[in-house]
Amino acid sequence: MINAKLIMIVAALLVVTGVVATAPRPAADIKVADPTSVVMIVNRDSNDIAFMDIKTKKIVGRTFLGNNVNPHMVMMSPDGRYVVTGGTRANKAYIIDARTLELVKVIPTDIAPEHLSFSPDGRWYYQGNPEGDSISVIDMLSLTKIKTIPGLVEPLNVTFLPDGSKAYVGNYGAHWVGVIDVRRHELLKKIQVADVPGVAKLDPDKYLGEIKGINIAAPSNDGRFFTRPIRILGVVGVIDPREDKVVKVIRVGKEPWRIYMNHDGKYAITLNNGDETISIIDLKANKVAATLEAGPNMTGVNFAAGKAFVISSTTGFVYVYNMQTLKPAGRIRIGTNIQLETATTDTADQKIYLAESTTHSVVIIDAKTDTFEKVSNVGLFPWGTHIMDSKDNYCH
Amino acid sequence: MLNICRFDWRYLVVCMTVGGVLTVAVPAGLIAQQTPTSSEEGDRQTLLERIAILEKELGEREKSPAVLTASAQPPVQAAAAAQTSSVTGRVTDAQGAVIANAEVTLGAWTPAMPGMKMAQGQQFTARSVANGSFTLTQIPPGQYVLQVDAPGYGRSSQELQVPTTQTLNIRLELLELPGAETSARPAGAPAPTDNQALVERIRVLEDRLNALEASTVLSEPETRVKRIEVFVDKNGNEYDKEVPGAKKKVTYQRERVYRRQTINEKIEDALGEQEKRSVKLGVSAAIIPQFAFQTKGEKTDADRHAYQLANADLFFTAKVAQHTMFFADVVGLSGTPPDLEVPVLTLLNGYTARLVRQNELNLREAWLRTEVFKQRLALSAGRLDLTNYFDHNVVANDETSQFLSDSLVNNPALGLAVNGSGFAAVFDPKKGLNFKIGFQQSNPDATSLSDSIFSLAEVGYFLNPFGLGEGNYRVWYRVNSTGKDFVGRKHLAGAGISFDQRLSPTVTLFGRYGASQASVVPEVVKQDRFYSGGLQFRNHVVFNPGDYWAVGYSQAHLVDARREQLTEGYYNFQLTERLKLSLHLTHVLESRPDAPKQGFLVPGVRLSAAF
Repeated sequence: MINAKLIMIVAALLVVTGVVATAPRPAADIKVADPTSVVMIVNRDSNDIAFMDIKTKKIVGRTFLGNNVNPHMVMMSPDGRYVVTGGTRANKAYIIDARTLELVKVIPTDIAPEHLSFSPDGRWYYQGNPEGDSISVIDMLSLTKIKTIPGLVEPLNVTFLPDGSKAYVGNYGAHWVGVIDVRRHELLKKIQVADVPGVAKLDPDKYLGEIKGINIAAPSNDGRFFTRPIRILGVVGVIDPREDKVVKVIRVGKEPWRIYMNHDGKYAITLNNGDETISIIDLKANKVAATLEAGPNMTGVNFAAGKAFVISSTTGFVYVYNMQTLKPAGRIRIGTNIQLETATTDTADQKIYLAESTTHSVVIIDAKTDTFEKVSNVGLFPWGTHIMDSKDNYCH
Repeated sequence: MLNICRFDWRYLVVCMTVGGVLTVAVPAGLIAQQTPTSSEEGDRQTLLERIAILEKELGEREKSPAVLTASAQPPVQAAAAAQTSSVTGRVTDAQGAVIANAEVTLGAWTPAMPGMKMAQGQQFTARSVANGSFTLTQIPPGQYVLQVDAPGYGRSSQELQVPTTQTLNIRLELLELPGAETSARPAGAPAPTDNQALVERIRVLEDRLNALEASTVLSEPETRVKRIEVFVDKNGNEYDKEVPGAKKKVTYQRERVYRRQTINEKIEDALGEQEKRSVKLGVSAAIIPQFAFQTKGEKTDADRHAYQLANADLFFTAKVAQHTMFFADVVGLSGTPPDLEVPVLTLLNGYTARLVRQNELNLREAWLRTEVFKQRLALSAGRLDLTNYFDHNVVANDETSQFLSDSLVNNPALGLAVNGSGFAAVFDPKKGLNFKIGFQQSNPDATSLSDSIFSLAEVGYFLNPFGLGEGNYRVWYRVNSTGKDFVGRKHLAGAGISFDQRLSPTVTLFGRYGASQASVVPEVVKQDRFYSGGLQFRNHVVFNPGDYWAVGYSQAHLVDARREQLTEGYYNFQLTERLKLSLHLTHVLESRPDAPKQGFLVPGVRLSAAF
C-alpha cells in the first residue's frame, strides 16, 4: 500500500515537473534511422527534399521548404545529424533533422544561396551566395548564422582542407581562388590562377565582360588542390595548400566546366563544353593524359566500377569511359527529349543516382552493366542528388 | 523521505534528485505563473525586458561567435564529477508566451570524423509542461548540446556545460513556410495580443511579398510530348502495365511539366525554342593572299607573283525531325589561286578545289542526316563531301583552320575532287571502333549515277598506346567507276591508312599513306602512292592561349614518274573566338622525267572569320 502511494507520488511529481529522464525518442518520429541509407533528392520546383531508401527505392519522406524556395544543392552534415540546402530564390538556408526529416531551422543568408560545404568536423556550414558575393557561415551547433564573409566574386564552390583549417572558394566571377581562415571565418588570401592574355584586348566582351572564372577548388588525394579557372582560357591550376600558391597550370579543352576527381586519386576529369570533349588529367604527372570525345552541355562526372560516367545534359546520354585504359566505353541513352541534371554515386561505387528533371525521375545506373532503371515521381524538377559519404557529391 | 528510503534505496536516489530539481525548478515555475498574463501592460513590459535581455545576450554572443553557450556558470568540477545533476529551463516563443509540450533533448556533440559513421550517443529528453518549464535529470557532467523543438517553431540549439545552476530561458521562433499546408501558428498557441499585431502585420506583408514573387515567377505548366510504352489487348483496351493477352506498343502522349521559372528564364527558353525551330545561318569567310618565289629550275610565270583567293560559305542547318537535320553549304569563291600558275601535282591552296565558277555561288553540300538505333547509326543522304566522313584526320583535314596545301588536307589517293549526290552511313557505338560506308557521284558530267559511282568504306579504331594519349587509326578502301584506265578497267581501287596520335598533351603526330590503281603501260598495273606526316603543337610555345602551329611534309609518287615533295608550316593566331589569322610557309619541289626539278617557296596568310 505504501509502495503504491509512493509510486503515485513520484509519478505525480514527474508529471508536474516534466521530468522524463533518458527517454528515447519515439520510434514513429524517426523516418531515417541510418543517414547513409537514403538518397537525398533536391526538387527545385516542388521546393522540397525527397528521401529515397537505397534498398527499396521508395520515397520514405519529403521535407517541404516553402513556396518559391527553389532549393539548389542538398548535403548531409558529416555527422549525419542534419540535411541542409540553400533556397536560391528565398535567400535562406534550410536545416532538416536527418532522422525525423522535419525542417528544424530556416536561416537567412545573403542573395541566391546555391552551393555549400561542411567543415570536416561538421561544425561549420559554409553557404555560398553567388549573387551576394559572400559566404554565410552557419554554426551547426547553435544552428545560427554567425558571420557573413564578404569580398568574394560570385562564390560557386567551397572546399575545406581535411584538417578544417582553411577553405578554398572558387570565384566564378574572377580569376582567383579565395582562401578562408576557418578559425576566424575571414578571407585570408587571394590566389591568382591565370593571367588574362594580351589578345583579350581584341575581344574584351568575351574575355572580360563574360568572365567565367573558377568553378571549384577540388582536393586531390595527396592534398593538392585543382582549380578549374577561366573557361575562356581553359586551364586548370594546381595549388599547393602548404604555401597557397599555384604550382602548375594545366591547359585543357575549351570552356571547361569544373573538375572531378577519380576515386583512386590517379586521374581527374574536366568537362570541356566548348569543344565537347573531356580532358583526363594525370594527377601524378600534372598533365593531360587523354582528351576524349564527349557530348554537349555536360554537367557532371561520376566514377564507379572503374569507369567514368559523364552526363550530357541535353542529349539524354551518359558517356562512359574506362579509367584503366582511358578509352571510351560506350554511352548510355537514358531517353529522348529529356534533361539530365547531376548525379551521386553510392558508397560502394556501384550505382549512380542521376536526377532527370523533365520526367521528374531519378535514374539508377548500374555501373557494372551500364543498365539503368527509373524511379518516377520523386518530386518536381529533381535538380541533384546526394548520398552521405559518397565521393561524388556535387552540383551543377 | 527517510522512511521512504527504508523501503527502497532506488527511490531515495530519485527523490533526492527530484527534490533537488524542485528547489531549482519550482521558483522558476512560480515566477512563470506569477507573470501578469491578464495585463497587456504587463505583457508589454515582460516583452520589453525580454528583448533587452536577449539583445544583451546576443551582443555578448556576437563578441565571441565561436562559442555560443547558454550556460556561463563555471561548474565546480570536482564536486560535479562525482554525481549526476539536472538541467532546468523554460520554453517561450518570441513574444514570451510559454510553449508547452516542447521536446527538449540533451545529447553529446562530438566532431565528425571523415569516413567514420557517427554513432547516436546517449540522449536525455523531456517535454515542457503547461507553464513551459522542463527538467532533465540524471545528467552526468560534461559538454552537451541542448536542443528544443516544438511544432511550428524552429529548433533551438546551444552548447551546454553540465552541471549548471542556471535556469535556461529558451526562446523559439516561428517557422513559417509560405505555401505549407499546416497553419503557421502552432496548435494550442495563445491567441494573439495587441502586441502581436505588429508581428501579424509583418506576416501579412511577407505573405503579400510571397504572392508578389509568385506572380513574377511563371508557374504555368509546359506541354511536352512524352514517349510511353503501353499494352493493348485484342479489343483495343490500353493498359499501363503488362496484362495477359496484351501487346506492348510505343505511343506518345502529351505531358504537363511544371517548371517554375522567372520571366528571364522563360524568355530565354522561348528564344531557345524558337531557335531550335528556325533555320540557323552560319557564315564563314576567308581571305588567302599567297606569293610564289621560284627556288629551283627554269623560271616560270609564277615566280614573284602574288595570288589571292576570297571565299565565303553560307551554312544552313535546321532540325526537321527527331534526331534529323538538314544542312546546306553555299559557297562563293573569287580570285586567283597559285595553282593556276605553279605547276604542281597537288593543290597549294585547298580552297581551290571549291572553285567551280568565279564570282558565283555554288551549292557545295545539301544533305539530310538522321540517327537511328539509339543514335549509334548516322545516315546522311544528299549532295555530300565524302572527305568529311572518311580519312578524317584530327590535325590535318581542314583547309579552313589547319594546313592550306591539299596534300595535307586530304589523301590524294582518295581521288575525290568534287562533291556529288550520295549516301554515307556511320556506325559509332562510342566504344572506340567505328565503321563507315559511303558512295557518291564523282563525275558532275555523268549522265547517270551508275556511271560515276565512287564507293568508300572505312574502319576506325581508337587506341591509347603506351599511355601516350589518344590515337585515332583508320583504314579505308575505295572504288571509283568514273572513267577508265589505260587497260580499259573501269573500277579503279585505292586504299589507305591514316592516323593521328597524341604524343603529349600538346603535341600530336599524324600520318597518311595511300595508294591508288593506275597504269601507264597496258597489262602492267601500277599504283600512284602518297605519303604525308607531320606534327601539330597546341598550347606549346605559343603567343596566346588557343594558338597552335604545325609542320607537315607530303610526298607524291605517280606511276608516270612524276614526283612532288611538299613541306608546309603554319602558325595560327586565335585572335578572338570568331577571328583567326594564320601565317603559312610552303615549299614544293616538283620533278618530272622530262624536265629539271622546279622548286617554289609559297608564303601565305589566311584571315578567316566564322559566325
